[in-house]
Amino acid sequence: MSEERNRILDLLAAGKITAEEAGRLLDAVDSGAAQAASAPAAPKTGSGELPKFMYVKVISTKGDNVNVKIPLSLVRAGLKLTSLIPPQAMEQIDKSMAEKGMSIDLKNLKPEDLEDLIESLREMEISVDAANGDNVRVYAA
Amino acid sequence: MKLPPYAVALRIAEQERTKFKIWFPLFLLWPLAIPFLILTFIATLVVDAFYLLSGQRAAYTRLLVGVLGVVGETRGVEVFIQDPVRTVALTLR
Repeated sequence: MSEERNRILDLLAAGKITAEEAGRLLDAVDSGAAQAASAPAAPKTGSGELPKFMYVKVISTKGDNVNVKIPLSLVRAGLKLTSLIPPQAMEQIDKSMAEKGMSIDLKNLKPEDLEDLIESLREMEISVDAANGDNVRVYAA
Repeated sequence: MKLPPYAVALRIAEQERTKFKIWFPLFLLWPLAIPFLILTFIATLVVDAFYLLSGQRAAYTRLLVGVLGVVGETRGVEVFIQDPVRTVALTLR
């Protein structure tokens, strides 16, 4: 299903379809997905290949489009880097983040938690449809 | 650990017409970065040894290696930004 969405977004990014047409197509894909979800689950026949990239796509009704493709291995390496930050620097980071209202204790982030986090990212899909028609999608494929 | 990106491609277009396009071979900069990396590596080793002698745990050298790993993993990043007038596309290879 995400392949179809990708294709639509790529067509929009290439200027081959308008934002309105893309919106209609995405709605059609979504309704198809809802029907598929209500149907009995079919056995998985895919190769089970893990996604390699994370995509961030923003489609604005004003014609602004953003399309970012990030290797998941970069996300993994970045998250693993947090476990290598020296404790002295970690305290400073925690303090600065708490001042900004993000009280995350990075010292308690264990390597196994990072692995779980990365695995969860593979199944993550965020789709935001704003009232003004803007669409933001973050997913792994 | 992967090697750092060897090339960057940047394209800026206005009204579907390519205004600026560059393919820059980043691997030409690798030899320039090596002396800097060696100096940084020595400095982190000294700092780690200093912390170790004073009984504290530090991993600045491992952090440096980790940062290099992150730089290597940037290969394959693609950024595409488009507004009604302009399009900017950046790819790291």
